[in-house]
Amino acid sequence: MEYFTISLLNGTVYGLLLFMVSAGLTLIFGMMGVLNFAHTSFYMLGAYFAYTLQKYISFWPSIILATVLAGGGGIVVERYFLRRVHRYGHAHELLLTFGLSYIIAELIKLFYGNYPTNYRVPESLHFSAFQIFGTDYPVYRLLMGGISLGMFLLVYLLLSRTRVGIVVRSAIYRPRMAEALGHNVPLVFMGVFGVGAALAGLAGAVAGAFYTTNPNMALELGVIVFVVVVVGGLGSLEGAMLASLIIGLSSSFAVGIDLSLVDLFAFFGAGEWAQGLGGLMELKVSSLSATIPFALMLIILLVRPSGLLGEKG
Amino acid sequence: MLTKMSVFKRSFIVLVLSLSCLLMAATVFAAPLRVAVVETLSGSQASTGLLYRSAVRYGIDKINAQGGWNGGSIQLLEYDNQGGVAGASEKVKAAIADGAQIIFQGASSAVGGQVTEDIRKYNLRNPGKEVLYMNVGAEAMELTGSKAHFHMFRISPNAEIRIGAVIEAMKENGNLGERVYSMNQNYSWGMDVEKTILDKSASLGYEVVGKTLHDVNKIQDFSPYVAKIKAVNANTVITGNWSNDLLLLMKAANDAGLQVRFGTAFLDQPGNLANAGDTALGHFIAHDFSLESTGDEGAAFGEDYKKKMGHYPSYVEPHTVMGIGLLGEALKNVADEDGKMNINKLVLAMEKATYHTPLGEISIRIEDHQVLLPMVVSEVSKDVKYKMDGTDLGYKPIKIMTAEEAAAPVQAATKIVRID
Amino acid sequence: MKHSRFLILAAIVLLFALPAILSHSLVNAVNQMLIAALFACAFNLLCGQAGMLSFGHAAYFGIGAFATLHAMGIMGQESLLPTPLLPLAGACVGFLSGLAAGWFSTKRTGVYFSMITLALAELLHTMAPHLRSLFGGEAGLSGMRYPALGLTFGSDIHVYYLTLVWVLGAIGLQYYITLTPYGRLVLALRENSHRLSFLGYNVHHLGTLTFALSAMLTGIAGGLQAISIEASNYAIFDMHLSSEVVLNTYIGGVNVFLGPILGAAVMTFFGNAASDLTRNWLLYKGIIFVLVMMFMPTGIAGLVMMLTANLRKYSALLLWPVLLLSCIATFLLTMGTVFTVEMMQRILSQDYQMLAQMSDGGEWPPVQLFGRQWLPGSLISWGLPVVLFVAGGYFVKLAKNRWRVLQEASSDQSSETDSIHNLGEMTTESEHELNEREKA
Repeated sequence: MEYFTISLLNGTVYGLLLFMVSAGLTLIFGMMGVLNFAHTSFYMLGAYFAYTLQKYISFWPSIILATVLAGGGGIVVERYFLRRVHRYGHAHELLLTFGLSYIIAELIKLFYGNYPTNYRVPESLHFSAFQIFGTDYPVYRLLMGGISLGMFLLVYLLLSRTRVGIVVRSAIYRPRMAEALGHNVPLVFMGVFGVGAALAGLAGAVAGAFYTTNPNMALELGVIVFVVVVVGGLGSLEGAMLASLIIGLSSSFAVGIDLSLVDLFAFFGAGEWAQGLGGLMELKVSSLSATIPFALMLIILLVRPSGLLGEKG
Repeated sequence: MLTKMSVFKRSFIVLVLSLSCLLMAATVFAAPLRVAVVETLSGSQASTGLLYRSAVRYGIDKINAQGGWNGGSIQLLEYDNQGGVAGASEKVKAAIADGAQIIFQGASSAVGGQVTEDIRKYNLRNPGKEVLYMNVGAEAMELTGSKAHFHMFRISPNAEIRIGAVIEAMKENGNLGERVYSMNQNYSWGMDVEKTILDKSASLGYEVVGKTLHDVNKIQDFSPYVAKIKAVNANTVITGNWSNDLLLLMKAANDAGLQVRFGTAFLDQPGNLANAGDTALGHFIAHDFSLESTGDEGAAFGEDYKKKMGHYPSYVEPHTVMGIGLLGEALKNVADEDGKMNINKLVLAMEKATYHTPLGEISIRIEDHQVLLPMVVSEVSKDVKYKMDGTDLGYKPIKIMTAEEAAAPVQAATKIVRID
Repeated sequence: MKHSRFLILAAIVLLFALPAILSHSLVNAVNQMLIAALFACAFNLLCGQAGMLSFGHAAYFGIGAFATLHAMGIMGQESLLPTPLLPLAGACVGFLSGLAAGWFSTKRTGVYFSMITLALAELLHTMAPHLRSLFGGEAGLSGMRYPALGLTFGSDIHVYYLTLVWVLGAIGLQYYITLTPYGRLVLALRENSHRLSFLGYNVHHLGTLTFALSAMLTGIAGGLQAISIEASNYAIFDMHLSSEVVLNTYIGGVNVFLGPILGAAVMTFFGNAASDLTRNWLLYKGIIFVLVMMFMPTGIAGLVMMLTANLRKYSALLLWPVLLLSCIATFLLTMGTVFTVEMMQRILSQDYQMLAQMSDGGEWPPVQLFGRQWLPGSLISWGLPVVLFVAGGYFVKLAKNRWRVLQEASSDQSSETDSIHNLGEMTTESEHELNEREKA
């Protein structure tokens, strides 16, 4: 029970963090069809911006400013880079973002060096929220979850309840028609890309203090955010939320399960036979925690390619 | 120093070399000894490779300052293996083709495994043109075990030495407790560490209450693992984790308010203390050099290193410098043969050499070509003279072990075919 | 056509003569370039010709490498095949795994196809280190080439010729495939798969077969690498390699058969040479990618084609000022960028910062760069890159003007103008249409 509760809490918070990073990506992906490989670079930029600003201004303002700066970076990328190659097709857009992610990572190394920075949670926020089974639960973890939830609500309401949201959704669904109706679709694209980057930047600014801010943080999240987006359904915010939670929880729980296929077969009385096969059979679930998301992604793609909550496909 | 050569320049040098070979037929002519460092110098894993490079530069400069070898300076070539095994293999070939006779490599046991095999095969195929592999930090046990060969020296500690030292010192100091958790990365190094923890449990009287091997450098959130440690009520976590895997683990434990001590091998990686801050306080590390405990001699080395390389030596740098010092001693006893280096003779000289370091004597064990070096176990503390990483923390020594005390036995799988 | 055939023949002869001309380490570099070229070429069968962008081709490269290694014999085991035939193992296993993976992934198109290939590759990548008997864990597997056919295969030269023969053979085979009716169907798969299925062809089977063939050729490339380094490691499955081949292919140009070969060879050489020259080579690589995607959408092959087309259209006499101006501009801008980056790196590095701190508010010590000392505080150190950039920009402008004049002069004579942009659009238009269809 103890393990279950703690894993549930941890998995949920980790899932919420994943959502923060992938929310922007799913919007961009759904709308522009761009597999944006530079997306986690904005996550990293957010962390480094916040780290730098924190030396001059206090914690919260620096987080907000870092978010804005990351968003600005996103706008620049869309306006001056992506838009230029848009006419050459998606593959070129994708490869362009790839090149940008190289450049951003190397520039970070140039300016901040190869090592983790000393970006930490401020002392005023470094205390435990409550005790659970004798273990402290850090308040910052709850804070991250809260920010993510708040962000989800805000973006969701923005998209579904406002006029801007309607235009954005129509631009996602039928860009040409929206343009024909007199909406400035390139501006919408730029806006969405900027907001998406800003969301990733916010995630980085908040999570960078809790985890580590280092030049590899973009790489570490690199592929998993695509899993979230695909599993949730391209362009679906709710889907991204659901998928993030599933992946957060599954990786949190898998860690504690030391069972393998051998044990499954042993349950049916064929344990020794399975043991003899070795290889795949002996792999423990706990050592597969990194594999599970990709297996999930594969199954979704084959069974329900539009994703859990996606519409298009 | 010959660094950063273009391929064109390299081919030009080869041309010049082949011309000079013609000249040499007429007159005996002293060719400089070339050595190469093949490391990951770019990309995501570059940080450790760059440290090895500065340590090797420092060590070779020091030998050259004392006259080099055979009346000439040793030339150091540098190659970027681009982070991979395939790249390393290719760059080792390039280094040999450019005339390098000694290869330095340390970051990553996987790359080390490739380099040692490449050189073993090269020497097998090219008798008389042997090349030496100086393993400055690939610490997997098998490299001095089943994969050991005549032309490889490991001048760094290994899993058994490091982890054995930290456990023993913590036990003596009363910090180990009864219940030990083994948390390690799921690859050769982590497995070696886990094995050492299990092996030592009987003799040192502790119980291994849990062991985990997790994915390397992939985990963002260690709280589920901390939950596991909590569940079995461990007093101490012994871990060989490095870099992010170590930082995130310690932070997650601290955030959960877990009252455990960590015994680590690589806490002194630059940036770690800065990032962990007070979270690191009271944890332990086994390393091969400490500025605190080595008096004037150690301080002089530290200051000199800082003057030349910009920082105090830590993490993988000290043993690399010391090991190259040992190489320097061996070089003094190897005469040239027609102006050239005979690597087989150098290997024999290395086996006999000893070198004085601030911590004590170091030497090579003939049976498996593992260096025997003194170790020091320290506690992260504020009560120190040398503050690291721009924090108010440093490493306070709790026990210094001589090379004999720290040594781990020769592995059963070791079989070095000798060329005498 | 005659011209290009002659050129290719000359290139092949040159490749065979290389070991006599080049130094040992350069022959090794060419060996790597050949393997990368075959990999990119095989990848392009799927990506360029069949229009399916795979994001997990490292999987088949790795599978080919490991299959070859197992056939070679792990650590003293007996070899299953004579050394020169070892890549056959990579080809067979690559084909079979490609058949299986292709059957699943070609059920979907567009982004979904890419994502399935990505998921399959990552699945393999995350599981491989745990499957020790197959992939040897993190330390990988290691074998040894045995003598065969009177050759020792001990020296790099033997390996080079082995690689060369296999690469030429595999590329030749692929070229032959494109000429067959099946090869034409593959192109149709890219252009309009709906029409193809209306015509009665089984699109899924066709896609699967193409995938498998591409995986087979990729497997040969992987096998050649395993032979060359006599080892392999699960890191070969990394996403990094999958993306590398995509980038190389696009830099070379997807729409020309020789494009990816060119791109892979050039980029491999760049990596090989630049990585020893500067720590910042990945930054330059990123800049190259971005620039190529933005200004050279058809890649190197596109550039070459545009040049030859223009050479035919205008006389060389008229064209060379434009070319010269462009070359000067490129050179100046490159120098400016390199200077700035290298200067920044040296000044921001830890050891230099330490020196600067020790100067106690006095002038910062000079930086060694390009065989000269540069003072960070002096005007020259920062004025030079500015001058280079300004001059480069000026030459760009000059080249553009010249080009415009040239076009305007000729537009009277011929109605069709194929400038850089037009050529770019011509080839990418169909691709774009395809993408639009996929989206709908």
